Amino acid sequence: MIIKIDEYSDVPIYMQIRNQIVMGISSGELKGGEQLPTVRALALEIGINTMTVSKTYQLLKSEGYIMTDRKNGARVRENIARSGVLSGENKTELRRIVSEARLSGVSKSELKKLIDEFY
Amino acid sequence: MNWIVNLVLFICVVPSAVIMFLLGFPKNPEKKKMIFGVRNNPRFHEGEAAGKVLEITASCRKAALIITVFVCLMSIVLLFLPPTRFTVLAWTLLVYALFLVAIPFGKGNTELKSLKKQLGITRKGVVYADLTNTSAVHGLKKPWLILPNAVCLAVSVFAILADTGVIKIAETLACERGALTLMSQSFLFLGIIIIPIAFMMDNVKNAVISKDSNINANYNRAKKKCWADLLVATSWANALYVAVYTVLCMFIYNDIVLVTGVLVYTLILVSCVAIGVKTQMTVEKRYERDTDLELLDDDDYWILGMFYFNPNDTRLNVEKRFGYGGTVNIAHPAGKVIMIVTAVLLLATIGFLIWAAVSGNMDMLSVNEPFWGPAIRTSGQNL
Repeated sequence: MIIKIDEYSDVPIYMQIRNQIVMGISSGELKGGEQLPTVRALALEIGINTMTVSKTYQLLKSEGYIMTDRKNGARVRENIARSGVLSGENKTELRRIVSEARLSGVSKSELKKLIDEFY
Repeated sequence: MNWIVNLVLFICVVPSAVIMFLLGFPKNPEKKKMIFGVRNNPRFHEGEAAGKVLEITASCRKAALIITVFVCLMSIVLLFLPPTRFTVLAWTLLVYALFLVAIPFGKGNTELKSLKKQLGITRKGVVYADLTNTSAVHGLKKPWLILPNAVCLAVSVFAILADTGVIKIAETLACERGALTLMSQSFLFLGIIIIPIAFMMDNVKNAVISKDSNINANYNRAKKKCWADLLVATSWANALYVAVYTVLCMFIYNDIVLVTGVLVYTLILVSCVAIGVKTQMTVEKRYERDTDLELLDDDDYWILGMFYFNPNDTRLNVEKRFGYGGTVNIAHPAGKVIMIVTAVLLLATIGFLIWAAVSGNMDMLSVNEPFWGPAIRTSGQNL
């Protein structure tokens, strides 16, 4: 799976990596049980501090997307907990996207079509 | 005897000049991945920009050609000049003159960067990483690199024992006492230098050229394998050569053996490098059609297209844009130290040679009577 980091984005790098790994898991590019690179290897590959990657992994672990242990490193969790509800933070983000789409003149059906495509 | 040095320098300088010209200033730059260390862009070949790019590349190529021809002609002249202290100085300066082609290269780099700005081409700050292949792609088989150096070490120990008289194969050694030790130690030193270079090249960042992880893995594996093969072959050539040559020098040591030895060794090294460069070029060509990703734009971090200075990058070693091999990130603390030491060594060498030539001490560097000669003889007599 290829991840793209924009150093000049407003979104912090650790969050960009986190978002793309979550999208990879959701799309099936990263399968359950798949090994993720070590903190050091990924930091060297992207050319960032190891602390940044460590922060991403800790966040993904706390969110239940990956599991880490000393022996096997980081792996994508086989069974990701399905709460069936959208978090408050994500609801606010979705609301913002819908509002911006509405202001830009994007119709409801077009937006639904996009959701269907991404889902 | 000094004509041997002339011949060896000629064999090294002329092909180096030609290779540097061909690699840095290709005939069809529009087909290459980089033009003067600036990433090639389709917009460079549209409308007015195409004419401008052709103009820049043609003028820089012409300047580089003049420098290359000058270096080659000077090499021919020096080859036939009688050996004096000034000839040695001239050769050394000519070796440094090889790097004058960096001037048109840097000029071309600066002009292309300003053209990029005019065209509004900016993709700065975007970095790709392939999660599937991170740190998993290597081409070096470590035992194959360690083994020849172990052979070199064994030969070196054998040479010391033969020199000190502990091992007696011939009644009297054909060469001077201490010569075997010095020669084998020099080859061992060369072999040892190759080890960190090989590890550095095997751990260089994996390039992301495609959305397909398999293509990325194959491309990086092929490139690293080229490097590993080149350095392992060089190590083996070094080890086998020193083994054969050490034994030979115990029985026969004259001008013919010395000349043949130097020529064979130079030819082996040049052949290894030539094959390595050719294979690397073939790999690049093969994967050109598989490149489907807009590539990282870090041109502004490459000063004159030759020196990498990126404070946002924590890596120490990166692939070169001019020539063949790797270089260091000068923004990295270790990179700063390496560059300062290299610059000091280069300046000190030039300074020392000019001083030696002007003060008449150049004879200390004579091949017939090296500066360590008296010391060896004295220690040999003491033994």
